[in-house]
Amino acid sequence: MAKDTKDLSRNEAIKEASAYLRGTLAEGVADEITGGISEDDQQLVKFHGMYLQDDRDLRAERSKKKMEKAFAFMLRVRIPGGVLTPAQWLALDEVARLYGNRTLRVTTRQTIQLHGVIKSNLKTTLKEIDQAALDTLAACGDVNRNVMCDPNPYQSRAHAAAQALAKSVSEHLLPRTPAYREIWLDGEKIAGGEEEVTEPIYGKTYLPRKFKIVVAVPPSNDVDVFAHDLGFIAIVDGDGEIGGWNVTVGGGMGMTHGEPDTYPRTADVMGFCRTGDVLAVAEAVVTVQRDWGDRSNRKHARLKYTIEDKGLDAFRAEVERRGGVKLGAPKPFSFTSTGDRLGWTEGEDGNHHLTLFVENGRIGNHPGAAHLDGYRKLAESHKGDFRLTPNQNVIVANVAPEERPAVEAIVAEFGLDQNLSGLRRNSMACVALPTCGLALAESERYLPDLITALEERLEAHGLAQDDIVIRMTGCPNGCARPYLSEIGLVGKGPGRYNLYLGGAVDGSRLSKLYAEDLEHEGIIKTLDPMFAAYARFRGNGEPFSEFLLRMSFIAPTGNGRDFHANTGPQQPVI
Amino acid sequence: MSFLTIPKAAPFTEEDIEALNRVVGTATPVQRAWLAGFLAGIEQAQPSDQPSVQPAAPPQAAEPLTIVYATESGNSEKLANDAAKLARKQGLKPTVIDMADLELATLAKAKRLIVIAATWGEGEPPARAARAYAELMGENAPKLDGVEFGVLALGDSAYADFCTIGQKIDARLEALGGKRVVDRVDCDLDFEKPAGEWTDKALKALAPPEVARGTVIAVDFGSRQQAAADTGPVEAEVSEWINLNSSRSDKETIHLELAFDGAAPAYKPGDSLDLYPENDPAYVDDLLRAAGLVSDEALRAELIKSRDVTTFSRKTLEAYAAITGYSYLKALAGSEKAKAWIAGRQLIDLVGHFPMSLSAEQLRGLTRPLAPRAYSIASSRREVGEEAHLLVSAVRYESFGRARRGVASNFVADRLKKGARVKVKLKPNKHFALPAPDRDIIMVGPGTGVAPYRAFVQERRASGATGKNWLFFGDRHFTHDFLYQLEWQDALKDGALARMDVAFSRDTPQKIYVQDKMWERRRDLVEWLDNGAYFYVCGDAKAMAKDVRTTLARAIADVKGVSPEVAAQAVAKLETERRYLQDVY
Ligand code: SRM
Ligand SMILES: Cc1cc2nc3c(=O)[nH]c(=O)nc-3n(C[C@H](O)[C@H](O)[C@H](O)COP(=O)(O)OP(=O)(O)OC[C@H]3O[C@@H](n4cnc5c(N)ncnc54)[C@H](O)[C@@H]3O)c2cc1C
Ligand SMILES: Cc1cc2nc3c(=O)[nH]c(=O)nc-3n(C[C@H](O)[C@H](O)[C@H](O)COP(=O)(O)O)c2cc1C
Ligand code: SF4
Repeated sequence: MAKDTKDLSRNEAIKEASAYLRGTLAEGVADEITGGISEDDQQLVKFHGMYLQDDRDLRAERSKKKMEKAFAFMLRVRIPGGVLTPAQWLALDEVARLYGNRTLRVTTRQTIQLHGVIKSNLKTTLKEIDQAALDTLAACGDVNRNVMCDPNPYQSRAHAAAQALAKSVSEHLLPRTPAYREIWLDGEKIAGGEEEVTEPIYGKTYLPRKFKIVVAVPPSNDVDVFAHDLGFIAIVDGDGEIGGWNVTVGGGMGMTHGEPDTYPRTADVMGFCRTGDVLAVAEAVVTVQRDWGDRSNRKHARLKYTIEDKGLDAFRAEVERRGGVKLGAPKPFSFTSTGDRLGWTEGEDGNHHLTLFVENGRIGNHPGAAHLDGYRKLAESHKGDFRLTPNQNVIVANVAPEERPAVEAIVAEFGLDQNLSGLRRNSMACVALPTCGLALAESERYLPDLITALEERLEAHGLAQDDIVIRMTGCPNGCARPYLSEIGLVGKGPGRYNLYLGGAVDGSRLSKLYAEDLEHEGIIKTLDPMFAAYARFRGNGEPFSEFLLRMSFIAPTGNGRDFHANTGPQQPVI
Repeated sequence: MSFLTIPKAAPFTEEDIEALNRVVGTATPVQRAWLAGFLAGIEQAQPSDQPSVQPAAPPQAAEPLTIVYATESGNSEKLANDAAKLARKQGLKPTVIDMADLELATLAKAKRLIVIAATWGEGEPPARAARAYAELMGENAPKLDGVEFGVLALGDSAYADFCTIGQKIDARLEALGGKRVVDRVDCDLDFEKPAGEWTDKALKALAPPEVARGTVIAVDFGSRQQAAADTGPVEAEVSEWINLNSSRSDKETIHLELAFDGAAPAYKPGDSLDLYPENDPAYVDDLLRAAGLVSDEALRAELIKSRDVTTFSRKTLEAYAAITGYSYLKALAGSEKAKAWIAGRQLIDLVGHFPMSLSAEQLRGLTRPLAPRAYSIASSRREVGEEAHLLVSAVRYESFGRARRGVASNFVADRLKKGARVKVKLKPNKHFALPAPDRDIIMVGPGTGVAPYRAFVQERRASGATGKNWLFFGDRHFTHDFLYQLEWQDALKDGALARMDVAFSRDTPQKIYVQDKMWERRRDLVEWLDNGAYFYVCGDAKAMAKDVRTTLARAIADVKGVSPEVAAQAVAKLETERRYLQDVY
């Protein structure tokens, strides 16, 4: 492997010394007196799908009370394409109630996270997850993560093929280390084998950074294909069959405030390949990034920077060489939106599917809204499957026509279906406080209130039912993909947000920084005149973001490198 | 009795008996008393580490008196020692025996017997007295024909089974043939005065004036009473007040640091402090309102400061029924149902449900003096200097639709803030002390039971004790109730703790308690004990202490492959060797 001459980042040494992700995790988990684990193990445990977190709401009081931080783990389940059987849903529901914080958190990458699992309950929880034929392996860490797939159920055949692809890519790129089984499931200890045997794709030090793959089926771009390291866009022929895949590379969201060398980037379309070549292409992209990626600076280690640095052509050539595949010219495709179609739809096969909005993906029981109970009740009788959407929503999929009334009754009983404004149904917020250690501001706990306040303005302008995409994150890492939304709010500090505008509704264009450090009132005051103008002057079917660009409220962003250029208010036409 | 003869059984030759009879038998009471005093004086002058003379042992100057006490928190023991001092002055030769060490045969040989016994748990004997108590109640108890006895019972009238152990012992001694020479008295928490009066009366009955009167002549060569370890209440300032539970916990456990104006009471690890609480003014106001006494400020102040206004016993019920004349109450007081009706209720319920305008005197009469509450000291003076730390868990519960708050613990939790002053008194406990520095110790203390172990660990760290220390702790939630977590982590790092095992009962669907952890670690546990480790249990008496004991026996049975009986004996042996030590409440 080509090693850079620059100093390797600390994580590289940790991985190298970890004996394929074992580290001292087993010992650390056995220590009952602390809820935490060592610093190095904290890096390693991510590869096993877990993060050590602490309840930030409690930080101030802890040491005064002679207690360490309120540590607990977040567990991220690996669910390729977001498809769960009802039994699997019930299993996750059960562990969330027994060991977690009694919520299920649907993520922006179609998985479920459990929060608040204390160390002494980790193994039990993971064993129960294993019993349900699920795992958390590689849901985080410097490896390929959960593979996303358009869950779109109404094009049943295309979806089935896309889903199968997502699953096989996920399996193919899964770490082979027995550490997971050994540490969490009390599996047999297998002595550290040969590198080529243990991790033929990754090697001892895995990837320089996280790696994300998605599978999209146009016209829906709900997976936000341009936000990921590697994407496959289904090219569907006239019969609804998939003829092959456009390959995208080099997307990513994360950046750091005040560091212009870091930026979000929309992926490039690198070429076209047949279904049979997908695994070879995927593996080649991963290994080129493994060897070419920057292992000295983790803020510059994602594939998007490798592509910026080496150029797309050089990258494509190397992938073709390693994969033994000649990529064709990209085929035409077009996306309409990144959102979900809420409500009932009927698939090609006659089955019915219900997409339910889940506010910020959090399913819990609250007074008057026992949603966790509601989904449990659905899972108890549902015969189809559940699909988690990239927009943090849930699809009750494959309901036979005669089962539909029963589903509707439960949905009504538990209020799972709500009347939503156009803004709210297109909203997403990342987790942020109190669990996320990187959050600079609230997100999931705040966006609902902000939307209520904005709804009042939209209502005043007659825009209550218009689709406008709004996404919020508690820091610039971009977990809710805010730079690909029409209104993006990115936490800067407690109660303060940077406002980004102008992301394209089909997910193809990044937004642009409009104003910094806005507080609640400031956000409303800034957006209100734009809503007013939009209501009066928009073109037919013109999305809010396109209107803002056309009217020169803001400058457009071409791609990553000009993300930080021409920021701030421009001179609007009106 | 006009003519006293030396019994034939006395350990003298026949000639000597005859000679003695000639002198002693005809001596006036004054002469006899002088002799008694003289001989007692010789006895006392013997080196004090000589084993004290057994009733059946060689020449005795004074008439023997056996004083047996059954104690948990030391009150009965203190009274027994006081009685012994007084008896000695009166010319008797007392032998004080902890019921834990009592061989029943001793009782049969005793001529005069005083038993001072406390009741614990819910009408149970103090833990370490349990063995002898069971034997006494059992079929094989010896006959006690001719033994003159008196029983003093200690208890708390707040418990339904008030003084039942004393009562049962009293009845049993009689049934075994003993002769009651003084009626039993059942003491409440303010036991000092009635106990003192009873002791006087008992000694008079057991050693009639003819035998003892002479002591009024100051002929006691004997050592005067030992300097009282008892220092009386002192004031302290709260220098730190921290609720150790997280704000998400459903519990509140206060770490209290007390600073003394001068030296701290001379406490040792294992000792407790009696804390003098005040009542919740809101509760007192409710009570005054119900009794139609709202405007009596002086009474209000007195009730808050010094009367027990929450405890509700059958006695109170009877008195209130008599004062108020409520026929329902009269009927209730005399009926079977009284006990059940009283359980879970407080004085406020009685007066609140059956309101009546009372006089201040009447209301005061329904209460007893407010007793202090004991709290294990959670610090070592070697580490904290002239301070003492306590760990107080706020007792809160609901019954009969009313939120109840334990008097002392909520005085600490709700009203005693940093800078406030509070009265405390040292309550030594030599039965819960550290062993020699090179011995290993195993400490089991869930909840506030962990308090004395903080003192143990501090002490052993500061004194460089080489014995290893192993702590079992438990509570509800790891995240919200891990008391002193950071300190234990430090102790594990610096070696002051060799091991620590924790059990949090509400983190998992199946509740896990300290005894479950003991079971998990049984191999090591038994190995430690085989190496001479001391085993300490502190905290909840109702369930925990029993479960821990049972589990230890099970562990021994399992690891050593012995029968449950043999294992139980092994635990009993640990106890008689004073290596199984309890401080439970
Ligand atoms: C749960 C989730 C947000 C949500 O509300 O759903 C999430 C939550 C977190 N993300 Fe994320 N990310 C989530 C999707 C994303 C996405 C969106 C996507 O992939 O489509 C992005 C932007 C795309 C990208 O990767 O560029 C994203 C970019 C990041 C980054 C920045 C990465 C970068 O290279 O710039 C970090 C920080 C890091 O890796 O250093 C991060 C780190 C985190 C951590 C684990 C914080 C940490 O490292 O300590 C957050 C845990 C919070 C918590 O308490 O649960 N998360 N994160 C999403 C889980 C996805 C999944 O199931 O796998
Ligand atoms: C030697 C010794 C050491 C001790 N050490 C400590 C220590 O370190 N820390 C500590 O916190 N405590 C300790 N205690 C206990 C302490 O002395 C008090 O008993 C305790 O704090 C309660 O006192 P209180 O005045 O708050 O409650 P009280 O007003 O005395 O009320 C307690 C009574 O309330 C009733 N009650 C309590 N809970 C319930 C319930 N759930 N349902 C119905 N009725 C209930 C019971 O009748 C109980 O006796 C110790 C006790 C002893 C004897
Ligand atoms: C946990 C606990 C339980 C008690 N149970 C009873 C009881 O059931 N009946 C009773 O009369 N007194 C009971 N008491 C009161 C004690 O008997 C009383 O405090 C006595 O003075 C203790 O004497 P000792 O120090 O010799 O053990 C109890 C006290 C405590 C702290
Ligand atoms: S965007 Fe930032 S604050 Fe939000 S979950 Fe991701 S890392 Fe945490």
